[in-house]
Amino acid sequence: MAAVAAATTTTTAGTTTTSSCRVAKSYSSVAAFSLSQLSFKFNKFTSRPNNSVRCTLTRNPVSVTEMDAKIESDPDLWQRPDTLGRFGKFGGKYVPETLMYALSELESAFYKLADDQEFQEELSGILKDYVGRESPLYFAERLTEHYKGPNGEGPLIYLKREDLNHTGAHKINNAVAQALLAKRLGKQRIIAETGAGQHGVATATVCARFGLQCIIYMGAQDMERQALNVFRMRLLGAEVRAVHSGTATLKDATSEAIRDWVTNVETTHYILGSVAGPHPYPMMVRDFHAVIGKETRKQALEKWGGKPDVLVACVGGGSNAMGLFHEFVNDKEVRLIGVEAAGHGLDSGKHAATLTKGEVGVLHGAMSYLLQDEDGQIVEPHSISAGLDYPGVGPEHSFLKDEGRAEYYNVTDDEALEAFKRLSRLEGIIPALETSHALAYLEKLCPTLPNGTRVVLNCSGRGDKDVHTAIKYLQV
Amino acid sequence: MNMACNIKTFLPDHPYLKVCPPTKKNNGIVSVVCGLMTQKTATTDSSTGSWSTTASSLIMRKPLTKSLVETDHQDLKKVVINPGRFGKFGGKFVPETLIACLNQLEVEFNFVLQDRVFQEELSTALRDYVGRETPLYFAKRLTDYYKNDDGEGPEIYLKREDLNHVGAHKINNAIAQAMIAKRMGRKRVVAATGAGQHGVATAAACAKLSLECTVYMGTIDMEKQSSNVILMKLLGAQVKPVEGSFKDASSEAIRSWVGDLESSYYLLGTVVGPHPCPSMVREFQSVIGKETRRQAMEKWGGKPDVLVACVGSGSNALGLFHEFMEEDHEEVRLIGVEAAGFGLDSGRHAATLARGEVGVYHGAMSYLLQDEEGQILGTHSIGVGLEYPGVGPEISFLKETGRAEFYTVTDQEAIDAYHRLCRLEGIIPALEASHALAFLDKLCPTLPNGAKVVVNCSGRGDKDAATVFSNTNKI
Repeated sequence: MAAVAAATTTTTAGTTTTSSCRVAKSYSSVAAFSLSQLSFKFNKFTSRPNNSVRCTLTRNPVSVTEMDAKIESDPDLWQRPDTLGRFGKFGGKYVPETLMYALSELESAFYKLADDQEFQEELSGILKDYVGRESPLYFAERLTEHYKGPNGEGPLIYLKREDLNHTGAHKINNAVAQALLAKRLGKQRIIAETGAGQHGVATATVCARFGLQCIIYMGAQDMERQALNVFRMRLLGAEVRAVHSGTATLKDATSEAIRDWVTNVETTHYILGSVAGPHPYPMMVRDFHAVIGKETRKQALEKWGGKPDVLVACVGGGSNAMGLFHEFVNDKEVRLIGVEAAGHGLDSGKHAATLTKGEVGVLHGAMSYLLQDEDGQIVEPHSISAGLDYPGVGPEHSFLKDEGRAEYYNVTDDEALEAFKRLSRLEGIIPALETSHALAYLEKLCPTLPNGTRVVLNCSGRGDKDVHTAIKYLQV
Repeated sequence: MNMACNIKTFLPDHPYLKVCPPTKKNNGIVSVVCGLMTQKTATTDSSTGSWSTTASSLIMRKPLTKSLVETDHQDLKKVVINPGRFGKFGGKFVPETLIACLNQLEVEFNFVLQDRVFQEELSTALRDYVGRETPLYFAKRLTDYYKNDDGEGPEIYLKREDLNHVGAHKINNAIAQAMIAKRMGRKRVVAATGAGQHGVATAAACAKLSLECTVYMGTIDMEKQSSNVILMKLLGAQVKPVEGSFKDASSEAIRSWVGDLESSYYLLGTVVGPHPCPSMVREFQSVIGKETRRQAMEKWGGKPDVLVACVGSGSNALGLFHEFMEEDHEEVRLIGVEAAGFGLDSGRHAATLARGEVGVYHGAMSYLLQDEEGQILGTHSIGVGLEYPGVGPEISFLKETGRAEFYTVTDQEAIDAYHRLCRLEGIIPALEASHALAFLDKLCPTLPNGAKVVVNCSGRGDKDAATVFSNTNKI
């Protein structure tokens, strides 16, 4: 795991935030690290000889500012994130000094472009003609029938069809917007990390479309498991670099990508695939995916003249969930439900249920829940679906969980496979295994809902990529 | 009878068949016919008023003596044909047992075309389930690629049928016909598939409408497109292997259907077969062309200059072309691209219109690839969906009348076009659609600056990645 030693927060003028420690260490020198400089209590700390620092912090930091207290008591004041890139105590920018400039540049570019008419029009045009938006809000009649109780009552289930997007998942919404942003910033080189390959393919796709140089970091083990996706990325003109360090999976690929970015920051833009990472990424990626929720609001109004009652989405890093939820976070009557991967079961130790079983720590530049052992080492997660196979989670999800605004549950590999089969048979839509986790949760959710409740589920991707996995497990 | 449809009503007793008038609903696609011997056809009282007085699509009549036949060669739009015929092509070359069935199908089809409930349900399904309308995408980098040294060249637009649910245009037809099967009270749907796309589309539609689904597929094809086989099974369809390829699978499927006419429905995937099948399938695919017309108007305030599509049996091509068939050849050029496989002289190709002869196959008269004894020839193309040894009768008709032009492209040219679109636009096209894209190499240098070319990107190419992988040693 690459060292993401804390840098932080220089205090900005006007706020009374004392927070942080100035643990501004370049990440190669562990020796100079001094515990006395920190205002936090360390619960666990490990230093490793290969110049990496990993630390975890207690859940209740010693200093809580007045500002924080006021914000927490009044939900409508929740500015997500605040000026420091924090969602409550989560988020932030735990990165080496060399990246600080790039991150601020990115942040100001992002804010500027939000108001730039031309940029917004160009982005809408691409989302419409290239990606194929808007994606339909589809009433799943047979699935609804399936969940009706013996008295014929049950909720109404709608699927937000992100599987119909170009490249077959929601990932492209963010990839396209970030590529456009990179072009505006004059960056010619794009890097990204990928686990299963979906984000890699989406990034390679947009780079081909915009004529940008594209380098994808992928764990060597993942490359073997997903050879076809590797070929697709190469077809699209991207260079796929194998990462052999650590366990040769997603988290190692992410670290390698961060390392590359640090080295080439002037010419390179890092397209992060999810709402994780240092500020401004969680905010940016969420805002680029927020089109999902915005369309849903409009379509719900058209279809039944109201809002959805419940929103359900799978959570790996959390991008598709934030994309659907964000629009409705301030609508208190809308329930937000995230579903994580329980793999072989929560007690088996082979799962990826970060919000249920994780503890707070810093990973890949942000403070959030993550799966770690007593020594603060990252636990290798497991899920049948590669996209949920991430040991962390976006900081905003950690915040929504702690505030109680959103509820998080989990579902095992087997339950997901059942749901995969169910949607294929009942609606003729083959969902991604990631999405199948959200679909599986309907089994527990629907019996508890009153008749006629409107449930919108984010069908975040199509399952063509998962057929070989599914075949191994299902009797078809 | 006032029907809003754009195929002809079939009234077996009536000497002259009435044709449906255009209505607001069909945006003036249909032409009007009044009686016999029309020099001009009457215009409609449709509010669009955009119909020229000479506009008339195919008039169906019983055969008449030559003197009563108006074949004005200048005006290709007026042709006298038999019921279910396009010129001399088409027809119903089927055993007696099937005639009643086909008649019933035709009545049903005509009814649903003007049934508001059905049309609304179909529109909703096309919008919410299939994901229509599909974008008309301006391919900037591809356009720049084809610019000459002076920076001049045509503008290339892609009609994105690859964005449909299940990834090809096939679903437009499958969902509509599955709905008809349900209306007719059939419990079981039978289909034959070559590349598998039609099989997958049918399986998906049947799952959605809770119909049983059996798909016949040739063993040779099952090997080449194994991922599609898995998809069909996951969608709940029963996949029955048939020794051979698509032609053997279709024959087996028809045999199975004939054995169970009461409760099963044969879902044809393309514009071949006995009347009313070619017309039905074309009607359901014509949404492609209708959208294109409107989108072209929005984008550049005019019509496309050239339409390009790949031709296997012709469903995606007719889907795009049909809307524009009324226009003059000079106004909107229609170009179909067939598969030349290893080359037209190699004997291993599927270029039916280039090398075939007229004959009867699967119930219709059309061009087909046959040897001297009239036996069907084996075909080859790297785009499996183009491997049909015949072609739709309406396509043969377009060739005969010269309304459309047909060319061919080899396997290698298609693979190169596949790579090109990936690299330049980040879109992975189906190998079938790659044939249409490959033809741009020859077409673009001949077009004037700014000519608007619309290529039907009829499917996505994820299914072909493995094939391209094994055919490419270096990337």
